[in-house]
Amino acid sequence: MQGEKNTNTSSDIDLLVERAIDGDANAFGRLYDMHVDRVYRHVYYRVGNVADAEDLTQQVFIKAWQAIHRYKKTASPFLAWLIKISHNLVIDFYRSNKAKTYIDFDMVASELGSSPEHLAEMHFDQQQIRRAILELPRGKQQVVLMRFIEGFSYPEIASSLGKSEGAVRVILHRALARLRKILEKVKQ
Amino acid sequence: MKRIEDILSQCIDDIKAGNTSLEDCLGRYPAVRRELEPLLRIALNIQEPPDIRPSAAFKIRARVSLMEHIRASQAMKEARRPIFQIGIRQAWYSGWLKAATIIITVVLAISGVGTGTAYASQGSLPGDVLYPVKLGTEQVQRRLTADDVSRVNLELGFTDTRLKEMEEVVEKNPEEIPVAVTGYEKNLNLAIAMAEQTKNEGVQANLQERIALVISSQLSMLDELEDGVPDEVEEAISNAKDVAISGHIKALQGLAKKNPVKAAEINMKTMQGRLNRAEVESERGNVREMERTLQHFQRLRRFGEEISEDTRRRGYDTRAIDELNARATAGQMQILGAIYGNAPEGTKGAVEEAMGASVEGHEQAVKGLRQQGSLDDIPEEPLLPDEIPDDIKDKILNHEPDRPINGSGEPGNGSGEPGNGPGDSGNGKH
Repeated sequence: MQGEKNTNTSSDIDLLVERAIDGDANAFGRLYDMHVDRVYRHVYYRVGNVADAEDLTQQVFIKAWQAIHRYKKTASPFLAWLIKISHNLVIDFYRSNKAKTYIDFDMVASELGSSPEHLAEMHFDQQQIRRAILELPRGKQQVVLMRFIEGFSYPEIASSLGKSEGAVRVILHRALARLRKILEKVKQ
Repeated sequence: MKRIEDILSQCIDDIKAGNTSLEDCLGRYPAVRRELEPLLRIALNIQEPPDIRPSAAFKIRARVSLMEHIRASQAMKEARRPIFQIGIRQAWYSGWLKAATIIITVVLAISGVGTGTAYASQGSLPGDVLYPVKLGTEQVQRRLTADDVSRVNLELGFTDTRLKEMEEVVEKNPEEIPVAVTGYEKNLNLAIAMAEQTKNEGVQANLQERIALVISSQLSMLDELEDGVPDEVEEAISNAKDVAISGHIKALQGLAKKNPVKAAEINMKTMQGRLNRAEVESERGNVREMERTLQHFQRLRRFGEEISEDTRRRGYDTRAIDELNARATAGQMQILGAIYGNAPEGTKGAVEEAMGASVEGHEQAVKGLRQQGSLDDIPEEPLLPDEIPDDIKDKILNHEPDRPINGSGEPGNGSGEPGNGPGDSGNGKH
């Protein structure tokens, strides 16, 4: 399972999740211990500062506890479910903080016709790429982040989002095409 | 022939795993090379971020806070569980005399029906033979509950019970859903009325805040329930949401008299939730639900204006409320723009009306802030999304909607009460 980068087996986690669903606070505390670093890292990547990342990470686990009774085991790991909650909270966070809005549709609206050669010469630093990813519409953004930043497999992403693997590949293709346009615009 | 998206995914995986090179992969697919190369280069440039970790102090602090939240919510849930769900054994722990009193009273109340029947009735649903017994035991619990706080909590617990009944009855006996919806409305009205009767103003405000927050979370539950029901049942669940919105407004009207800023904040959060829901429904192509949810948004937005107006009339400072309303506009417009893009022709009028409500709210807030010399950086005229054609933008900004604002299926009265009836979404504009 690519999504769980820790030493805990998925069956340990499944057991803790079952106990948490039954109302076992200590089991949920263990799940927090296991996943807080990954959730924080994901949120930090999206918001870029410690204060907001800490605040949102805390909210992710409170939301997760409130919704744990609705959690259904799928092919995706428990972490994918937490990342999905994080994604939604970050979207809400940006919506309620207009000064921090990152979606700028004007920027990607124009059609550009750069050659592949031109692209090949381009150097993208990670900050530019991060900013470009954060400008993607939320569905595309979620797939790019889950695949490239969180390292989830296609079946895991598909299961987590309730889509087919084919649909996830299509979204990824479109997302990369959109990223290309954004990055070209930045370079101009 | 393989599709480009499959080729792209395969190449990314193979290159990242070291099984092939970029050139080899491009060489394998000359027909799509021109499109493939830039996309592959971008994908391969995306690197996992450095291993950023939260501080140990934060992790401990957040864990303690999380555990406190969990324990508090469990205690609250326990307190709200109807006595017969707790069971007789636990009732003995809290005092055998009290438990015995309850049992005897229940027996008397349901005259001739045994306690076993009363207990069994707790799992019954609308349409079941034992359902009236269940309602009878709830009535007894009301009589046995003395203080206002416990009474409100009891009724809120009953509203949760009605929601669970809706959920269960959907599959077993969908024509009985209106019974649960009517019960939900009654319980909500009782909770609001009991909060209003509370003499201590601080306690009253806390209860009204709690009712509004419970309803807000119940709206999300109703959204989820509605997502899973067949079309013919959707209407009944929508009616329950109308009732919930009316109850939410009613509870916040009470709170606004004591703490208008808090009332405005809660209203704003619920409004944001409705807008997000409308966006999701527009993405799904569920036009009817999108329109209804936009109507709820309009009711709440207008209610936000009411809070400000009433507070101003009573001579209080409204800067915080006006600023909250004005600053929310940009974010709301962004979402409404996305909804507009998703909405099929013939339904865009509903989105335009919602934008109209947002514009009106913004203008009122700006007016208030200007009068109080606190406009700061807030734009006087809201910026409408690019998705909206210029002629429509003009109509919205000049308050000239295609459809009359008070037309059929229109958002309800901002001060609508739960007593409007489950089928009544409340008509008319202030």
